[in-house]
Amino acid sequence: MTILDIQGVSKSFGGIKALSNVSFTVDEGSIFGLMGANGAGKTTLFGVIAGQIKPNTGSVAFRKQVITGKRPDQICRIGISRTFQIVRPFAGISVLDNVIVSALYGAAANNTHAEAREAGLAALEAVGLADAASQMAGELTLSGQKRLEIARALATGAELVLLDEVMAGLTPTEIERMVETLSELRHSRNLTFMLVEHVMGALMQLSDRILALDHGVPIAIGTPTEIAENEEVLKVYFG
Amino acid sequence: MKTLSIDLVAGIVLLAAALVLPLTGMDYLVGIAFNLAMWVALTQSWSILSAMTGYVSLGHVVFCGIGAYMVALTTGSLPLAASLGFAGLAAGVSALVIGLPVLRVRGPYFVILTFGLAELVKNVIVQIETGLGQFSRLIFDAPPLNSLYLVMLGLAVAVTVAAVFVRHSKLGRGLIAIRENEEAAEAIGVPVIRLKLIAFVAAAIIPGIVGGVMLLRTSYFEAAQAFDPVISFSIVTMAIVGGSGSARGPILGAFAFVLLSELLWARFPQLYMIILGILLILFILFVPRGLSGLLDRKEARQ
Repeated sequence: MTILDIQGVSKSFGGIKALSNVSFTVDEGSIFGLMGANGAGKTTLFGVIAGQIKPNTGSVAFRKQVITGKRPDQICRIGISRTFQIVRPFAGISVLDNVIVSALYGAAANNTHAEAREAGLAALEAVGLADAASQMAGELTLSGQKRLEIARALATGAELVLLDEVMAGLTPTEIERMVETLSELRHSRNLTFMLVEHVMGALMQLSDRILALDHGVPIAIGTPTEIAENEEVLKVYFG
Repeated sequence: MKTLSIDLVAGIVLLAAALVLPLTGMDYLVGIAFNLAMWVALTQSWSILSAMTGYVSLGHVVFCGIGAYMVALTTGSLPLAASLGFAGLAAGVSALVIGLPVLRVRGPYFVILTFGLAELVKNVIVQIETGLGQFSRLIFDAPPLNSLYLVMLGLAVAVTVAAVFVRHSKLGRGLIAIRENEEAAEAIGVPVIRLKLIAFVAAAIIPGIVGGVMLLRTSYFEAAQAFDPVISFSIVTMAIVGGSGSARGPILGAFAFVLLSELLWARFPQLYMIILGILLILFILFVPRGLSGLLDRKEARQ
């Protein structure tokens, strides 16, 4: 079953084409990886899906419903949430309060404080942050704040979660834990993930399918093995 | 929960004292209490917008002025209660109209824009009044001080209850998320534009009515006075001194400010603004979370 359908999306900033004619679909329950060098358009694509960036042409459909042109908060309530590459914690409130807001306003729309608290705690538990619940979010380590980004996305009750470089800046041990966490979450919560990642090992290990972008142009799409053997990809990456 | 019940007891004692006060017949004290209630109402309403969302308004007086003007225009032809209701309505509608464009800018730009807008409205009304040949309007048959005081007290209590309620509601949590990071708030489903507008309008209604009651107290309308920017500055000062992390901050701030003003006015009128200025700087530097922040720390230690 297709959960996300992207057709002919293009986006220019000034004269620079950040995305040109990108089309692909994402299957429900899968992990879909995006790869490409800095400036390849990965984060722009996330912005287009989550509503922060309006594409010049093309459309994004979630479960057959076209969401292009909707505001980020509307798209979140439909069931898509994203994390930010540069973490954006609500630094001045507790870790638990961070996820409670998500649970109150996101797609799950928990109506009572008790429900939201429970959903928030479950999200913290899922990413291994339960012990830090009462800590101020601004006091977390980078690894903790990356986890909080994921917990906040989960607590919205989203079905499709866009993870933007959640492993950048983490130690190899932390990356290993993050990979475990994500594969666990996918099954336990029946989630679909899209992943932007520079840590290639993790991307290859987690993804069912990968789209390779080069300066906004899709150059290859396929399983990790197909991508690793693709001549176009090898040329762009290794010259 | 414990601090909430202590606050509740303190609030009830304070309210009881405030209600008994007019029976003493000491107009001087009632006058001070009137000012206190007025500043509590203004600072508390300001904090619903500015402390919760981080959109610091330096033009809160504009809503007082609009309310005062409405009462000045309608008093005599409408019953007083209707006049005051109209004042609150006019302030709320004005906030709805100016809110959408104004809330698009953030940080220092928002601060300056609100200040400029308040000055703009003031000058427009000065021009209108001049054009009409009115330099000031006298209000006849204003109610006695004791009645006005009770109305002001009611407003202070109402807005304090509202502030406590908002802080613990879904709305309040959304507003705090906007303050902490607006893009992240929007990404987790918080309808940021709608929430900011709700806070802006909610924060405007009470000052509108307060402005009307202030006018009845002075029984004299003059635009430059009704829209005096010093009122906006005082509100921000009280919020800083009292702290705006909780609903008791504005109350503590208003007390500190009014008591200090009374002392300073009586003894060192020429040093009044200087001492107030120094105090403000000291608080910003050394007590950034205000008096209520100090209390929080003390309670946390016990």
